[in-house]
Formats: sequence, structure tokens, C-alpha cells
Amino acid sequence: MNARVQRRPRRRLVWLLCCLPAMAAAQQFQFNLDRLAAKASETVDVSLDGSTLQFAAKFLDSKDPDQSKVRKLIAGLEGIYVKSFEFDKKGEWTAADLDGIRNQLKAPDWSKIVGVKSTDGEISEIYLRKQNGKLTGVAILAAEAKELTVVNIVGPIDLDSLAELGGHFHIPPMDMAKPDAAKQK
Amino acid sequence: MKSALSRQAPPADFAARVLRRTERPVYRFPRWLAAAAAVIVLAGAGMGYRQYRGEMAKEQLLEAFKIASVKVNRIQTQVQGVGQ
Repeated sequence: MNARVQRRPRRRLVWLLCCLPAMAAAQQFQFNLDRLAAKASETVDVSLDGSTLQFAAKFLDSKDPDQSKVRKLIAGLEGIYVKSFEFDKKGEWTAADLDGIRNQLKAPDWSKIVGVKSTDGEISEIYLRKQNGKLTGVAILAAEAKELTVVNIVGPIDLDSLAELGGHFHIPPMDMAKPDAAKQK
Repeated sequence: MKSALSRQAPPADFAARVLRRTERPVYRFPRWLAAAAAVIVLAGAGMGYRQYRGEMAKEQLLEAFKIASVKVNRIQTQVQGVGQ
């Protein structure tokens, strides 16, 4: 009886150790934006862990050039988490919502590589997470007057290749002449 | 009269003939066939559900990449615009 009681903590420890890789690969920061869902006219909430990503990859059409690019991009990924809100009117999200996320994206784990704030209040930021010199995650914050998007890509990803997809999926590439009003933070 | 009413032994195949008449021709579904059908139905349902889950995951994946790629593309464009 006593032997069994003593074994339980060991079993729990073994179980916990087995789960550690899976736990480590989970979302790298908390979005904490659930309160905005009630105000949003449209909400996108995507939460794909590593196993689901690889499972989804099996259903990508290799004949479709866009989908085959996606397949290459997700090869080493361990998760993608996206939360995007669209609002009918301005001012639904606050600076505190962004600060709550920014506070988690701090050195030494995270480094901000891009921060753009335009005169019309549009905010765009990209953060990279590196461990032992290797890219292990990307965070994207994009806030417009009526839209707020947060993305966490867990694992190494080539941002240039990701940006190239912007011209695919029937999405027109961005107009290069537009951002006159933008200024880097 | 006595001899007419006396007990007589039935013919040798009497019991067999009676039993043959009482037996109704019932078709019995083979058990192995029922088990095989159940396995096929369950496997089909499982594959269908797997396909459904896969398609849902794929749609989510493409949606996530669509959003992420548009945002990164936009940020890169803004940065290039600032550089120019």
C-alpha cells in the first residue's frame, strides 16, 4: 500500500516530463483579448498546435502552388495562433489591450524588429523570439482604427516567404506607393 | 375390432418427417458478415470524420497564413516606404 502511494508522485513526474515538450510548444504568450469578442463585428480565432498543423498539412493540395508554399512554410512549425477582430466603429480596442501583450514580449526572450506607427494611428509591430541563436517564434501586432490582429507563430519561419504569400490566396499585393503617411517609431 | 385399435409402431422415418415439416427455412445472416459490415461502416465513418477534421484544420491553417502574410506584407511595405 505504502509502495503504491510512493509511486504516484513518480508517475506524475514522468507524465509531466512526457508532456513538457508539448507544453513548451504551446502558445508563447497570452492574447487576453476575449473581452473584445463581444464588441467585434467579426472575429477570427485560429489555434493550431503542432500536431494539428502537421495533420492539416496532409490535406493541402500539392498541385496548388499557394498551398504547396504553405506546406513548405509549416515544415518546422509547432503552432500558429491568430486572433483578429473587426469592429463597426472606432475606439473599441484600447492601448491597454496592446500593452498587455507587449508586456509579455520583452527581452531577453523577445526582441522587437519592426515598429511602425502611422499618422492615422495604425500600429504594426513584429517581435522575434530567439533561443540559443535560433528563431523559435514570431509575434505580430497589427492595430488599425477598426481592426486588431495578433499572431503568434511558434517555430522558425521565413518572414520574407510569409510576406510573399500576401500576394496569393486571391489577395492583391500591397500598393508600394501608399505608405507616405507612415513613419517608423 | 381389437386388432384394428391395437397400438402400432410408426414407420421408421416418421419422426424425421415430422421434424422436417416443423422446420421453417429461416435465413440466418452469417455472423462474420455482420461483423465485417460493422467494421466497414465504422471504418468509413472514422475516415469521413478524419477527412472532415482535416479539411477544417486546413481551412484554419490557410486562414491563419492569409492573415499573417497580409500583415507582414503590409508592415514590410510600410517599412520600405519609410526607407524611400
